[in-house]
Amino acid sequence: MGTFDVGGSQLDTSWFLLLGAVLFAMGTAGVLVRRNPLIILICIELMLNAVNLTLIAFSRQLENLEGQLFALMTMTVAAAEAVVGLAILVDIFRVRDVEDVDDLSELKG
Amino acid sequence: MSMQTVALLVLLFPAAGAILLAGRGWRMPRTVTQIIGPGVVWASFIATMVLLFNHTFNDFYYWTWIRSGSFALPFNLVVDNLSIFMCLVITGVGGLIVTYSVGYMAHEDDPSYSRFFTYMDVFIFSMLLLVLAGNFVFLIVGWALVGLSSYFLIGFWYRRPSAVLAARKAFVMNVIGDVGMILGAFVLFVSYHSLTYAGVFNELTSLSNSESPALELAAFLLLVGAVAKSAQIPLHTWLPDAMEGPTPVSALIHAATMVTAGVYLVGRMHPIYDVAVYAHGAVAIIGAVTALFAATIALVQTDIKRVLAYSTMSQIGYMFLAVGIGAYTAGFFHLLSHAFFKALLFMAAGNVIHAMHDEQDMRRFGGLWGQLRPTSITFLIGSLSLVGVIPLVGFFSKEQILGAAFSRGEPLTYAVWAVGFATALLTGFYTGRMWWIAFWGKPSPERPVEHPHEAPPVMLIPVVILAILATIGGFIQTRALGFGPHLIDDFLAPANDYAAVGRQMWEEAAGAVVIGLATMALGGILFLAAYRIYVTHAWRPWSAALPWAQRLLERKYYFDEAYDAAFVRTLDRVADLGFRDVETEVLDGAVVGTAELAEAGAGYGSFTQTGYFRNYVLVFVASAVILAIVLLLRAA
Repeated sequence: MGTFDVGGSQLDTSWFLLLGAVLFAMGTAGVLVRRNPLIILICIELMLNAVNLTLIAFSRQLENLEGQLFALMTMTVAAAEAVVGLAILVDIFRVRDVEDVDDLSELKG
Repeated sequence: MSMQTVALLVLLFPAAGAILLAGRGWRMPRTVTQIIGPGVVWASFIATMVLLFNHTFNDFYYWTWIRSGSFALPFNLVVDNLSIFMCLVITGVGGLIVTYSVGYMAHEDDPSYSRFFTYMDVFIFSMLLLVLAGNFVFLIVGWALVGLSSYFLIGFWYRRPSAVLAARKAFVMNVIGDVGMILGAFVLFVSYHSLTYAGVFNELTSLSNSESPALELAAFLLLVGAVAKSAQIPLHTWLPDAMEGPTPVSALIHAATMVTAGVYLVGRMHPIYDVAVYAHGAVAIIGAVTALFAATIALVQTDIKRVLAYSTMSQIGYMFLAVGIGAYTAGFFHLLSHAFFKALLFMAAGNVIHAMHDEQDMRRFGGLWGQLRPTSITFLIGSLSLVGVIPLVGFFSKEQILGAAFSRGEPLTYAVWAVGFATALLTGFYTGRMWWIAFWGKPSPERPVEHPHEAPPVMLIPVVILAILATIGGFIQTRALGFGPHLIDDFLAPANDYAAVGRQMWEEAAGAVVIGLATMALGGILFLAAYRIYVTHAWRPWSAALPWAQRLLERKYYFDEAYDAAFVRTLDRVADLGFRDVETEVLDGAVVGTAELAEAGAGYGSFTQTGYFRNYVLVFVASAVILAIVLLLRAA
């Protein structure tokens, strides 16, 4: 319990959690510092998958399938989010060429 | 038909007339107005006659107006000799005056013609409600409605600024009185837990007539109402200005009926005033002072209606004097007699004004005796009655008051008798001045009409009827001569025990008859002396010797100026202060300050709205991190 059999060697759950945390931090940093809308979307996907990884790790550790169900749910949401986000981006790109999300400031009062 | 229904009908006729005229009448031919307007008053008069011949003392209960817990207020009408007496004056003299108005107002345009009769009927209704009401609430309702209809009628010619101002002044003064009445009723209610006359008066008698400060207070507060309505000092300034209204209004409201409401009130409340001796004394003093004060001002007035207005104040002062010393029936006899001769004088003056094309300055009349003979004769009868010449009605009523005061034999009553005596002499003089200047001598060169026409019959007949009443009316009560009938005393005595005091007082003092006749003789001599001064100019007028007195009287003792300085301008200043320092500084400041505060706050708040996506995300992430740390720390 609490260990994973990976290729014959045993790995502690905390490694998977650590990987999820690193991936999530990378995604957050990407969202915060990058300005290209496509990269931002990719970073959001990265954050969501980091969360998935964490959910599955816990699911395995606690022997509870709810975590895997939740991961499936997150994938659905991630797909929907990617569809909507990309659709908006495609629409914006049709009108003009956007390199920087800060250029999209028409709605600022 | 039961008498209860008849009593209600007395009220309902004028009310129905007013509603008909206001609703439909003005769209119908003039004849409809001419029939409904006076007709309903005469119908009310007939109903009052039915009551007169079939009555006993009655307090008719109709329905419960207010019920709240243990308190219940009925709508009830008191039909006793006093209210029937007042109703007869109101509907009888009122009927004559409203009939007279059919002719006097004939020059009015169509909607206004009907409007006039609507107001008149409203007034008659209000006045009847005032005298018939059986509790304080409906007394006050009638009291206020009378003031309201007076306001309508004074301001009848609403295009004249002076009429509108006069109407407003009258209304404000009357409201001061209304407030006094309402407070007085409150005090009585708090003390006796009843608002019906029966309830309050029964409490009073069961308390064995004990004097109490609350009762004095209530009596004084009711007196404020009486003083305002009856134009007594110090709330008198509205009455002379009220002469801006049409002359029939002056005759009906400002001579015969409304201004006598104060006398009625003191008479109706006599169980209170009999106990509240200080307030009762104040009634007599106010009456005496007003009688003399108004008579002096009348000496110098040149507008014929204003002379009559001050004379009215003076005569009502006599009535206050009478009811103030307890001679109730004498006061009410004078009320009746004054209603006859003053309405007569006003309507005769109205005929003159009509003939003179609305000129009211009597110095511009002169020599009307030959040209307007019937009006002049009736005016002379009214004038002599005002002076108190035997056998006209004014003699009997005025001398009964003076005799009652003289024979009472107390310092206060001697004092008010002396003032009343002096007033009687002044009355003789100013009435003579008015009569000789307006009707005698040569026509004034400034007269607007060379050959005036006598009034039409509809205006002449009511005047003649009143002249006849003023001539023979006195013989219903010749107590002033010490013998003969005393119908008024008998009529008012049994149901109300008002007369008991006055009657005994009079019969003990036969000596007062001599004084009464002497008063009449002196007044008559002064009436004639005015001829030597103002027609033949044989004697110098008194004012030539006393120019300052003349000026003082012409300015009416500076009452208007004093009130202007004390109240109007003071309030103006307070309002100014309120506007400049409170309104603009504090109130506007608060409003503007709130707006500025909100604007500044919004300015700072808008810094958080950078519009950069990453800033929002940073805030979001930072918040999540802080939240996580807090949760972890709490868990640890």
